[in-house]
Amino acid sequence: MRRWLAVVWLAITLSVAPLAVAAAPSPSPLRLFITTHPAMGTEFTLYLYSASPAVAAAASEEVFDEVDRIEQLLSNYRNSSELSRINQNAGAGPVTTDPEMLDFLEQSEHWSQASSGAFDITVGRLMKAWGFFRYDGRIPMDSELEDLRAVTGWEKVKLDPAARTVQFTSPGIELDPGGIGKGFAVDAAVRILRADHIVAAMLSAGSSTVYALGAPPHKTGWRVVVPGPLPSQKTLSVITLRDTSLSSADCSQKNFTLGGHRYCHIMDPRTMRPVEGRIQVSVVAPSATASDALSNVVFVETPEQSVATLRAFAPDAHALIVSGDAGAARCTTFHWISHGTSSIDSTHCAL
Amino acid sequence: MNRRDFLQSASAAALASTTIARAAVPAVKPVRLGIIGAGSRGQENLRQFLRVPGVSVEAICDIYPPRYEQVNRLVGKEVPHTADYNELLARNDIDAVMIASPVACHAEHVIATAKTGRAIYGEKALGFTVEDNQNILDAVVRSKVLFQIGHEYRYASWVREAIRRVHAGEIGTPTHVYAYWHRNGDWRRSVPSPDPDGKLERLINWRLYRESSGGLGTELGSHHIDMANWVFGEQPESVIGTNSICRYHDGRTVGDNVQSVFNYSQGRRLVFSSITDNAKVGCELWIYGTAGSVQITIEDATMYFEKNRSNKPTADQAEGKTVVERGVVTGASYSTAGEMPYRGPGEKVVVASSEDPTLAAARSFVEAVRGEHAIFADVQCGFRAAIACSVAHDAVFVENKMLIPKAAHSG
Repeated sequence: MRRWLAVVWLAITLSVAPLAVAAAPSPSPLRLFITTHPAMGTEFTLYLYSASPAVAAAASEEVFDEVDRIEQLLSNYRNSSELSRINQNAGAGPVTTDPEMLDFLEQSEHWSQASSGAFDITVGRLMKAWGFFRYDGRIPMDSELEDLRAVTGWEKVKLDPAARTVQFTSPGIELDPGGIGKGFAVDAAVRILRADHIVAAMLSAGSSTVYALGAPPHKTGWRVVVPGPLPSQKTLSVITLRDTSLSSADCSQKNFTLGGHRYCHIMDPRTMRPVEGRIQVSVVAPSATASDALSNVVFVETPEQSVATLRAFAPDAHALIVSGDAGAARCTTFHWISHGTSSIDSTHCAL
Repeated sequence: MNRRDFLQSASAAALASTTIARAAVPAVKPVRLGIIGAGSRGQENLRQFLRVPGVSVEAICDIYPPRYEQVNRLVGKEVPHTADYNELLARNDIDAVMIASPVACHAEHVIATAKTGRAIYGEKALGFTVEDNQNILDAVVRSKVLFQIGHEYRYASWVREAIRRVHAGEIGTPTHVYAYWHRNGDWRRSVPSPDPDGKLERLINWRLYRESSGGLGTELGSHHIDMANWVFGEQPESVIGTNSICRYHDGRTVGDNVQSVFNYSQGRRLVFSSITDNAKVGCELWIYGTAGSVQITIEDATMYFEKNRSNKPTADQAEGKTVVERGVVTGASYSTAGEMPYRGPGEKVVVASSEDPTLAAARSFVEAVRGEHAIFADVQCGFRAAIACSVAHDAVFVENKMLIPKAAHSG
C-alpha cells in the first residue's frame, strides 16, 4: 500500500512553467510531496517537488509502478520473475530474454569483470548456504563451500547479446540481484521522472541507494547525511547531490551472530565467506546501477584495491570507505574530499 | 548474415551441442511482429514476446509519438513506426500483429488486420460494444485467421492446474465464483503539460472515460469473467451491477469502484468487486464448490476442502456400555471450528513452473503461429467474456438486470 503525504516544506514561486496537468494562468508555488512504497524488501521513498498534487500523485504512481515492474523482473523471491525463469532454465541451455534483462546482466557482468569477481550476482546458492536468503543464519561446512564453487562465478554466465540469450555453463547457478537490483530499479524510475518533466526529486530505495534529480528550490542539491560508524549516531559526512546517485552498504540490517562473531550478509565471492573488516561504504556515481554495484565492490575489496578499481573503471565516482571496527574506524576516500560539497568528521574515523 | 539467418544458425549450433540444449532451444521459425498500440499494456506484451525465441518486432503503430522512443528502448533497436495502422498492415515483413490499442479501437484494428490474413494477438476485452464484439467474431471466423485473446491467466500454470482439478470434481460442484481486483491508486497516467483542450488527457487516460472505456469491470474484470466462464463452461446469461465515484472526483466518468453479479445457468453466479482505494485483497478469485474451494491469485492457487460430515449411522461401542447405559454428557455447545472452517494453510496447487502468465500466453501464440498447436484462448473465449463486459458496462449505470446476448454466429 502506498502512503501519500503532502508536505508543505517550501512554498516558493518559481519562474518556470508550472507542472500542472492543464496550463495555469500564473506560476503556482512548488510544494514538496513525499510518497512511500514497499518494494524489493524495503521501503522506497520519493521526495518530489510539484505545483500540483495531481501531477505529483500521477508521477509517483508511475514511479512506483516502474519499481514494481523491475521487482517483478529481478526478484529471486518470486517464481514468476524473469530472473527466476533464467535461474530455472539457463543451466539447461540458452534462454532468450528481453533487452532490458540482458542490459541488467551485461551491467552485472561489467562490474564483475572490473572487480575481478569481488562483485558477483552468481552468489544465490552461497547466500542460501550462509542462511541469508530468508534470514536463518548458519555457518556452512568448508566442504559445502567447496562444492558451491561449481555453481558460483560470474564467468559461468554466458551472454550472447546478438541472440539475446543467457546460459549457465554450470547447471545449478542461481543469480541473486541483491547487490545491484535496487540501483537498476532507481535508474528506471528516474527515467520516468525525467520523462514526466519533474525537475526536482529524490528517490530513495530504503536509503541504501538514492538518486538526486535536480535540486530543491533555491538549493544547490539534495543533502544526504552519511552516519558515523555504527553504533555511533554521529554524522560522519554530509554530501550534496545533484543529478547523481549515492549507494551505501553496511551490515547493520542483515547479519547474524554465532559464537560471539557477527557475520555480514555481503559475501566475498572469491573466499565464499562474509566480508570481514569493513564497517560501511558510500559511493557516488552518475548511474544508480553503477553506484549500487560499486558499493558492493568497495565493501568487498580492500581499500587499496577499491581505489585502484575506481580509478580504472569509475574515475568520476566518489567513495568513502570505513574499515576496522567502530572503536578504531579508519576512513579511506576516493575524490570524496575534493567533491566540493562534501565534508568528513575525522574525529570518528581516522583518515 | 541477417537476423533470421543468425537465429537459425544459432539454433543449429545449439542443436549440435547437448541433448539438454536440444530440448531447450529447438530450431525456431522466425515470427515477425507488428504492434498496433504501444502504450503500457502493449509494451508489457512486447517485453514478454521478446523473451520468446525467434520473435522480432518489425514495426509499430501508435498515434502518440513518445511511444516510438519507448519502444526503441524496449526492443533495443530503431523500430519503424507510423501513426496509421493501414501503413503497418501494408508492410510485407510482418507475420503476426499484436493489438493493444484502447478497447474502443479494437473492432477497427482487429477487423482490418483479419482482412490481411495475419495471425492476431488481441488484448482483452475483445470489443467495446455488443455490436463490436459480434463484428470482430464474424470477421475473425470469416477470414479464418489465428486469433488469441489476451486472457493470459488461461496460460498460467497454477490456474490451469487448479481449474483442471475443479473440473475433475475435487471441490464438488462449483456454484459460485467470487472475484476481486482491489487496488490503491487513482488509475491515472501522467499527462504532459500543456494540454489546454484536454486531448492528451483523453488519449492517455482513456480508461477513465465512459465513451472509450468499460472501466474497472472491463479492464480488470474481463479476466475474472473469462475464468468464471471457464469454470462454468458457458457465458453468463445476465448481469446486475452498480458503480460510483467514491474517492477520485477528478472528472472521470467511469466508476472508481464497481460491483457486479453475473448470472449463469442453474443459478450459478460470479460476484465481481473492484475498488481503487484499498488493495488489501488484491487480485483474487475464489471458486466455491459443494465440497471445497479454490483460491486463485496472480501467483499461485490453493485448495481448501469442506469438512466431511457424515449422516451414516455408526455402531456405539464405547467402553462396552451403550450410550443409553452411560448417559449423554452435557456441557457448552460452541465450537469455533464450525464457524471458521477455512483456518489453516490449505493445499497449495503444485506446478512445475510459475512462469509469468503473459510470457506463457505469448509463447503459446507464437507456437500456434508456427503451426505447432491450436489456440486455447481463442476468439470465442474472448467473445464470451467481452460480451458480458459490454452489457455490464451499461448495467452498472442503469442498475437494472440486463440480459447478455449469445453470439449470433457460433463459428
